[in-house]
Amino acid sequence: MTKYVIKRLFSGLITIFLVFVINFILIHIAPGDPVSVMMGKDNNDPELRAALMAKYGLDQPLYVQFYRQLTTTIRGDLGDSYIYSRPVVDMIAEKIGPTLLLVFPSALIALIIGAAMGILSARHEGSVIDVIFSGLTYILNAMPSFWLGLMLIILFATRLNLLPSSGMIDVRAGYTGFRYILDVLRHLALPLGTLVLINIPYYYRIAKSSVLQVTNEEFITTFRATGMSERKIFNKYVFKNAILPVVTVFGITMAFLISGVTLIETVFAWPGTGRLTLTAINQRDYTVLMGMYLVVSVMVALTMIVVDIVYALLDPRIRY
Amino acid sequence: MKLIKKILRTIKSDRLLLAGCIGICILLFIVVAAPLITEYDAKLFGPDALVAPGDPAHPLGTNHLGQDIWSMLIYGTRTSLMVAVVASFISALLGIIIGGIAGFFGGWADRIISELINVFLMIPTLFLVLLIVAMFGSSILNIMIVIGLTSWPSNAKLMRAQALSLRERTFVKSAQAMGENRRQILMKYIIPNGVFPVVANTTVGMANAILLEASLSFLGLGDPTVISWGQMVYDGKQYLTSAWWIAAFGGVAICLTLLIFYMTGDGLNHVLNPKHGKAGE
Repeated sequence: MTKYVIKRLFSGLITIFLVFVINFILIHIAPGDPVSVMMGKDNNDPELRAALMAKYGLDQPLYVQFYRQLTTTIRGDLGDSYIYSRPVVDMIAEKIGPTLLLVFPSALIALIIGAAMGILSARHEGSVIDVIFSGLTYILNAMPSFWLGLMLIILFATRLNLLPSSGMIDVRAGYTGFRYILDVLRHLALPLGTLVLINIPYYYRIAKSSVLQVTNEEFITTFRATGMSERKIFNKYVFKNAILPVVTVFGITMAFLISGVTLIETVFAWPGTGRLTLTAINQRDYTVLMGMYLVVSVMVALTMIVVDIVYALLDPRIRY
Repeated sequence: MKLIKKILRTIKSDRLLLAGCIGICILLFIVVAAPLITEYDAKLFGPDALVAPGDPAHPLGTNHLGQDIWSMLIYGTRTSLMVAVVASFISALLGIIIGGIAGFFGGWADRIISELINVFLMIPTLFLVLLIVAMFGSSILNIMIVIGLTSWPSNAKLMRAQALSLRERTFVKSAQAMGENRRQILMKYIIPNGVFPVVANTTVGMANAILLEASLSFLGLGDPTVISWGQMVYDGKQYLTSAWWIAAFGGVAICLTLLIFYMTGDGLNHVLNPKHGKAGE
């Protein structure tokens, strides 16, 4: 097991290192020299230029620059945003809370609903439920997340006037305590709902196909032949074996979610990292964008590693 | 002639594939016949802005600049399909070459490339694309190339698996015995025989490319000189409360197009490996 964990950690590290290398290459091949990329356009402050040159050793040979940048990044310094003249790490740290509030619950809810729908479909294959669920998830799968979000706004916020369409809190109300939590939950409903809907198809597909696959295994047929009740077969044998692949999909969807949430945050003006990314795009604040890219990759790599380890704990076959 | 008949029979045998193929034909028709089925040029800023759908002159309404929504949808098909074809062609080509080399040559090359493929599959593509497009400019050509360059890993993975199994087959072994060199074998036997799963995957790749271009446009990184569905949704966002139709129809078009590509892809997968189709879906 230890060997497996070390192997997974190692490939996670490679991933992050590769992202760093991509960032490094991009800075150097982008139009203009690295300093102007980091300083932003229309900025010609010679003092800042000299400071950046010294910090990253930009007058040195490439391998020295690479080494310097790597060591500063490892120390947790992702550079400064030229627009706000603040460390990128601080800016991201401030905004990451609301993003995680959106990402993890939506992944979990989608997993539960999607897997439940998939299992139901598989147990009643060919029934009306199966046809409806399959059709529904097929269409959901083809919807662009940001568009679905906008349509939900039109329906629930503009037409029915049930839910707020943007932001995380009602600024004018200034709630505290329990009312505050309730207010955040109300604002959370639409963005969370959109993410859940978008992610359901993945879990549905994998849950359904793995239940069907396990049901067709020979040992299940043997149980049937011995006269064991369908319910017992399902609860004791099918479910346990079929839920494993769903766990792996959780890791993969997470990767899409963490980057895809940028779109949803843009739709709902959610004050998370997505907003930061959008502002950075509009102002061509490359240090922030590259910092985000690195942080997102670290988050994805971490989730993948955790999911893989959980998977290996559940299924001893993987470890060997 | 026999081949065409066989292809037609295969298409007819699978409902999803049939529906997908009909859909693709409709899309191609729209691409070719765009000027015939629209009354206005999509880039024409008409005198009537924000006309609601149902208007006799503009059945789907107009946007804030007076552009006809129906015309924009029709001309947007051209952009989306162009992005889909160019990006997925680059991605398939890279995937086939890289995956083929890894699977066929094996050894160190395979170990490094496989690890690289896994790593690239893990990295969120959207962010990389976004970063590159922001840095190098958001012309439609840039967008297509970047999407192609970042989406090859899944194709490479499929091609590698194919090459791994093909190189053990007798006809490849006999070619080796006949003294053909490794490059010839790769080009003449491995790639042509292992390319089908990549082709099936390419339909999904096309769908992803369309979605990615739309996402970029929605974030304000689209090419402002072309008509694109993502751009329509982006424009419509500001007018969501007063003119819902600007954003709504663009999304419907994306959704329908993705459905067509997914159906084609699933249908192709069923036809290529019938056993798999039974357990899945």
